[in-house]
This record gives sequence, structure tokens and C-alpha cells, in this order.
Amino acid sequence: MRKVGKLAVLGLTALGLALAGPQDNSLVIGASQEPRVLAGDFLSVISNQSIKAEIEQYLYPPFITIDLDGKNVAVLATEVPTVQNGRVRFTDIGGGKRRLEIDLTIRPDARWSDGRPLTTEDVQFYFEVGKAKGMPVLNPDYWQRVNLRVRDARNFTVIFEPAYATDLIGSPIGYAPKHIMGAAWEQVKRQTAALDPARDAQRLNEIYRNFFTQFSTPAYLNQRKMAYSGPFVVQRWVPGSTLELVRNSNFPIEPPGGASRYVQRVTYRFIQNTASLQVAFMGGSLDAISRVGLTFDQARAREFVNRVGRNFDIWFVPGAIWEHIDINQFPNVPQVRDLGLNDKRTRQALLHAINREGFVRTFFQGLQPVSHTWIAPTNPLHNPNVRKYEYNLDRARALLAEMGWRPGPDGILQRTVDGRTVRFEIEWVTTAGNVVRERFQQFVAEDFRKIGIAVRINNAPSAVVFADDFIQRASEGRWTGMFMFAWVSGLAEQGNLFACEFRPTRENNYVGQNVGGWCNPEYDRLREQANLEFDQARRKQLFDRMQEIWAEELPALPLYFRADPLVVRKGLVNYVSAAYSGGNNYPNWWPWAIGWESRGAQKLFDQAKYALPVR
Amino acid sequence: MIAYTVRRLLQMVPLLLAASFAIFALLALQPGDPLDEVRMQNPRITAEELQALRRAYGLDDPIHVRYAKWLTRVLQGDLGYSRTYGVAAAEYIFEQRLPKTLLLSGISLLVALLVAIPVGVFSAVRQYTPADYIVTFLAFVGLSIPNFFLGILLLYLFSVRLPEAIPGFPQFPTGGVPPLLFEEVRQGIVSLWEYLRLWAWHLVLPVIVLSTGSMAEWTRFMRASLLEVLSQDYIRTARAKGLAERVVLYKHALRNALIPIVTLVGLAIPGVMSGAVLTETVFSYPGMGRAIFDALVEKDYNVAMAALAFLALMVALFNLVTDLLYAVVDPRIRYS
Repeated sequence: MRKVGKLAVLGLTALGLALAGPQDNSLVIGASQEPRVLAGDFLSVISNQSIKAEIEQYLYPPFITIDLDGKNVAVLATEVPTVQNGRVRFTDIGGGKRRLEIDLTIRPDARWSDGRPLTTEDVQFYFEVGKAKGMPVLNPDYWQRVNLRVRDARNFTVIFEPAYATDLIGSPIGYAPKHIMGAAWEQVKRQTAALDPARDAQRLNEIYRNFFTQFSTPAYLNQRKMAYSGPFVVQRWVPGSTLELVRNSNFPIEPPGGASRYVQRVTYRFIQNTASLQVAFMGGSLDAISRVGLTFDQARAREFVNRVGRNFDIWFVPGAIWEHIDINQFPNVPQVRDLGLNDKRTRQALLHAINREGFVRTFFQGLQPVSHTWIAPTNPLHNPNVRKYEYNLDRARALLAEMGWRPGPDGILQRTVDGRTVRFEIEWVTTAGNVVRERFQQFVAEDFRKIGIAVRINNAPSAVVFADDFIQRASEGRWTGMFMFAWVSGLAEQGNLFACEFRPTRENNYVGQNVGGWCNPEYDRLREQANLEFDQARRKQLFDRMQEIWAEELPALPLYFRADPLVVRKGLVNYVSAAYSGGNNYPNWWPWAIGWESRGAQKLFDQAKYALPVR
Repeated sequence: MIAYTVRRLLQMVPLLLAASFAIFALLALQPGDPLDEVRMQNPRITAEELQALRRAYGLDDPIHVRYAKWLTRVLQGDLGYSRTYGVAAAEYIFEQRLPKTLLLSGISLLVALLVAIPVGVFSAVRQYTPADYIVTFLAFVGLSIPNFFLGILLLYLFSVRLPEAIPGFPQFPTGGVPPLLFEEVRQGIVSLWEYLRLWAWHLVLPVIVLSTGSMAEWTRFMRASLLEVLSQDYIRTARAKGLAERVVLYKHALRNALIPIVTLVGLAIPGVMSGAVLTETVFSYPGMGRAIFDALVEKDYNVAMAALAFLALMVALFNLVTDLLYAVVDPRIRYS
């Protein structure tokens, strides 16, 4: 008996450090991915993982963030710039293009965790590093268009030329701790002064990466010399296992009732294997899930819901991840011509033969909605009044007959093209090992067979199908028919997925996301117009029309929008997400207000308004 | 014996060169390159920018040139830089990952040996008795059960079900390593005892999982080896001399029966260093197995190369060590 007691004590002590819950006003979050680096890599040159961006919500809140309704809200800035308050100004620069100037003022009480004030010097520093020659930034387009004018220690103007409507979404610029990283940057400047980006790219890249790395590895952050501006700071990072954040007393924003009533410590546990992550929830050692956590199926598994549902709320947050089938439409590819894939009637027939409603109802309990265009219903630009393609095999047959297809001796359709008889056998590629997608293929292939279409499934691991020499090479017939995968979209929608200029071909070195190669001059014209249109209502009208054209033409077959599971212990408040919160479905976009009701935290947001519950 | 050792060491040089080139070529032939991610995320990136990045990563040279560059750096003691983690590949592998793997796999190896040898002996001595059948049965269960399944099963039982069902039952950690840094022990924030205790507590389940397979295999091996020795003439002679059964068994039979075990264990040691992908993944344990797997998936070539080449070196070295140990344990073997 004494032995058992001792073991129990040992067990409790062992767990004590990671013990979940309101007892010590802490929060333990389970994530299936670990950041490679944090903090110092402020341009995401070394890593742009979603888990990194999520954790940095605690450490470096932006000037402006995006709330649950997809609206801008000020965090470290005094107010959201608008045309009405005179902080947003446009100037015509000819050619239908405009210059955009955005005035921002840093909160007077904004400070770094070491007590130093956060000033425009930190913005200037961020800007200077981003603009440095040969900096391997992920969004060169942004850095080419952006400029900065500092007025005083707290006021600055961000300038975009040419400006896009999406430049007004979220923060127009970031900041970085100059007093910590500035000296090292001066050294980098000296080292790179004589280097030429065209000739010495490798050397430049190496110097820049070293610069970011020295301020962002676990070893550096564990020395606790880094400065943070958010409600939490890094306390300890055990690589491969846990990351612990503690409250920053220098953070200026007070949640209602005072910060002491809210979570004081946040611990991330990194559990790569999602089955182990499920078990950790069942074992009660976690309080909430990261955005990078369980899959849809795992969070909905009956055993999981039954055991975890007692103490946790399980939500499905409609997101902006769009499952679809791209179709090769490059007319130089023989199979495209044979099957008429570049004729919209073929694509319409294929969509009529896919029972999307049935699939979503059977496999997702309707939690992931069928899509009719590429823009998610959560995006204000979404147009619900577009042509919809109901499941109707007769309609599909009729369209195919119009195209000259007749049933052949084996029941598979055939027609004559250039004097040859061709069979309707279409290649279908997706990521091997993705159970949902493979299940979908089986589900649909059955119906395709009924209308005389044979499917040749050609799945391969994602590393293979998403490699540049596969997905980007439809123009060379590397894949010849259908390619099923998902795009993640943000609030900043520009319609680029279907732009003519982003068709990957040999001419543009296979760059661009319009992998199927659809091209429509009217759509393109509207798209260019929409991106330069700053009037929300007029922009919406343009996007409405773009979506109408899209739904009529079907450059890709829309399937459904994915929903992200959110598992939260009952009593934890303000750990709430929506499709665009914090930019990308982050549940900790308002991190200083996360807390336990039993410790006095006040509930500010209601997840029920933004997600569907699972019982 | 020294001449033999030197000769073997020299033979290892071309072997390792060939092995490292094979690994390098296989990595380079993997579909995709480290720029895929960049391309997918940023459709506006231009051909020139891509070319600059490609040059920056040194991806525009042919394989043999890249290999030659890599080899030159390695011979100068520079294993390169982890593109993923932003630290030196050597630091990532040899400081962060290898020690943790040695700890987990080393303990598992010891546990497996300490259980397998006595149980194997027990089973051999009691051949065809119910006890032998039970051991044999358990050994086959251990051999057949996949690690990832056993891992999840143990996690579920010891971290969820049993603590729920039995009040006071100790709840085992659901994987991971203790949320403490050794630095904190040095600074006196946490006591060494507490640190070690937490480590031990986190290692219990993964050690059980990782040792099960080899434990079962070696039990069977030990049993077979001892049975073979026990049927030898010199054992009959020893018994005929009137020696006590204990002396026959432990002095005459066991020492000879252990010789083949030395081979097995010697060959298992490089395996210890390569880690165990599945067990490490299920228990979210930051070891070598996962490091190599992640490096391959993320195309972090420097890390993958450093780790795989290191393992090739270890396999070659431990093959040699095993051969040399033969001469030590078996007086009949002489190398010249």
C-alpha cells in the first residue's frame, strides 16, 4: 500500500509540471507540430510554419489584427486606419493604379518585455531588414511595393505603390526589437556591403540566415535575453517536447478585471503523432488544442467524443481550406483534346456526376459544407448566387452526348477525334495516404462508371505530386486529367488562382498556382480591376461577377470547404477562433484575455457564433 | 591483430565513400527540392528570384559537384547547416538528438539483454516444460506485436484507462520528455534528483516498447544457442566427471552459448544510434529516428546526410568491433 502511495505521489509530481487546468491558472495546449525557430526570425525567412505564427500571437501581437468577424482591430496601434479618420489616403499614379498611404500611431504605453518603449525605430528596423538586398523573403511582391515614412517616435506612414485592395487587411507592416538585434544587423551590413545579390546569393543567404537564427533557436531563447512585446514571454523551450510561456508584466493591455484573473502560464506540448495527441486529451493532460492539431476525423471519432466530450467542448470551425479538383485544360496535351477537358460542358458533366451533398452528409455529418466557388462562405467576398451543379447523372449524360460521346462495347463512352476512336478514360491524381481523398475517389468513381467514364487512379505521396516537376507541369502532360487537393486561402483574396498570368508554363519557369491552365479574358480584366478597387461594395460586385463566370465555366471542380476542429476544456474562455481570426484561424488571436472562468476570467467571445458543436 | 585492425580500417575508407555517395545521390534523386514550398506559397515569385534562391541553396550544380563540395566541407570538419532548424547540423544531431536516443535505446538494449539472457537460459534448461511453453508463447507475442501499436496501447492503458479506473494508480506521462532544461539543474533551480526522477518516469513506457522486440528475439536466440551447446560432447564429459550441474551450466555451457549473442548485440548497437522512428513518434520523443525521418521529409539535406553518413560509419565500425570481440570471447579465433 505504501508503495502504491509513493508511486502515486511520484506520478503526481511528474505530472505537476505539466498539470493542466485552472488549479494554477495555466493552460496546456497540444500541437502536432513544433516550431523550428521563434521570435528572432521576424521575416519568416527560416520558417513560415503555421505553428510558429500561432505561438508568436502570444509573443508579438501586430499593430492591427483580424477579429472573429474578419474585421481589423487595433492592438499595438492606437486605432484602425480608415478613410473616415483620415489615416488612409489614395493618390492616382496613372494607368488606373494608385498609391496608398496608411498612417499608424503606436500605443503610448507599448513596451518591450525588458521595459524599453516600443517605437518607430523598431518599425524602421523591420523595414530596413526586409528591404536589404537579396533578402530571401517569402513575399517579394509586398517588399517591392512597400515604403515607410517615420514622422516621430510613435507616428509613421506605410506607403504602397501600386496599392492593392488587400493591403488594407490586417497590419500593413511589422516591427522587431532593434535594441536586441540592431547591433548584429550593423555587423551584417558591414559583411554584406561588398556582396552582389546576383553573384554572391549563397553567401548573402548564409549571412542573413545566421543573423535570424542567432536570435531564434531554443538555446538562445532559453537564455531569456530576447525581448517580447506580447502578453507572454518564452520561459523555457525543451526542443522536441515542450515550450513554456509566462505572463509579461510589461504588456500594456489589461483584460477586464485585471491580468491576474487570466491565464498566467501557457505550455505547448508537441506531440507529432496525432493518435498520441488523442490519448493525451483522453488522459486529461491537455486543456486545448492548437490550430495545428487533430484531423477532422480524429476529433469526430466516437470514442474520442465520448471520453473527451465530458470535460471538453469540441467545435468545428468552418475554415477557408478549399478541397477541389483541378482539371488539365492545356489544349496541347493530347488527352485534354481527346476528352474535351478544355470544353466547359465536359467539366460541367463531371461535376453533375459527383454527389458532393451525399458525400458531405455521409462522411462529415454535414460539418464541412459543399462549395460552389473557390471563395469560402466565411469570406465577405463570397457570392452565394452562382450556378450550382446538383447531383444529376442524366444531366451529365446529356452534356456528354452533346459532346459526341456514345457508349462503347465495354460500356465506356467513346467518340471520334481526328478520325481516331477515343475512350473516356480520365486520370485522377491525389495525395496517396490521405484517407478522405482516397475514399472520395472510390465514392465518385462508382458514379462515373455509371455514366460511362473510366477512372485511372494515379495517386502518389504528397512529396511527389506537389513537387515542382509534377503539379506545375500540366502543360507538359505530367498529369493529364483531374488533380484533387486543397488550397488554403486568407481574407486577402485576389483571385490569382485562376489568373492567366499564373498558369505555370515553360515560359514563366513553371511559376503560379493556376495549375490547370484555365484562362478567361473577362475574368482576368475583372480581377485586375478588383485588386485596384478600394471601395468595398464595388470590389464585392466585381468579385460577384468573377464568381459567376467561374461557376459557369468551372475552371476547377469545387468540392467542399474543410472545417478545423477546436477542442477546449470547459470553463476556458476567449480561446476562440473563426476562419480569419488573427489572420488565419488562430484561437489565440486575443491572447491576453484567455482565462478560466473559475479564476475570474470574463467571457468576451462566444465560439458558438463561429462554429458548429459536436456532441 | 593490430595489422588486421589497420587493414580493416583502411578497407572502410572506400566503403564509406561509396556509401556516402549512394546516400547523397538517393537524397538528390528524391522528387522535389527545398524550393517547392516557396513556390507553392508564393505564385508571384519570379524565375529570377527562384534562380537566386536555387543558387543560394547551391542546388544548381550537378550531383557529383555537390557531393564533392559536401565531402570537402566534411573533411574540414563542417557538416553544414540545418536549413530547417537554423543550427549547425552537427549540433542538432550530436548534441540535441543523439544523446537522447542513446539514453532511450541504450537503456532498452540493457533491459532487453538483462531479461533475455536469464529467461533464455531458464527456458532452455526447462525445455518442453509448461514454463518453457509460456516463455516461448510470450516471446512470439513480443516478436509479432508492432511497436506503434504496443506504444499506443500502453499509453492508453497507463495514461488514460487504469488511472481512471483505479483511484491512486499512477498516471504515466502521455509521452514527451520532462519539461525541464539541464541548465536549470546547473543553476540550482531544480535538483538533480528531481531531474533524473522525471526523466526515469518519462522513459518507463518507451523503454518497455522499445525493448520488447529485441527481448523476445534474444530470448529465443539464447534458448536455442544454449540448447545446442548443452547437446555437445564436452558437456556430457563435464557431467560424467561429476561436476555440479550449476558449474556445467554456467561455467562450461553458458560462456560458449553467449558467443553468438555477442554478434547480435554488436550488430544491434548501430541500430541503437539510429533511433526508432515509430516508437519515438508515438511517444513524441525527440530522438535520432524522428530527426532523420523529418530531415528526409523536409529535404533538410545537410542533416540527413550527416546523420546517415554517421550511421554508415557506425555500422562499419561496430562490424569491426564485433569481429574483434570474437577473438576475445572465443580463443579458437585468431586474426592475422
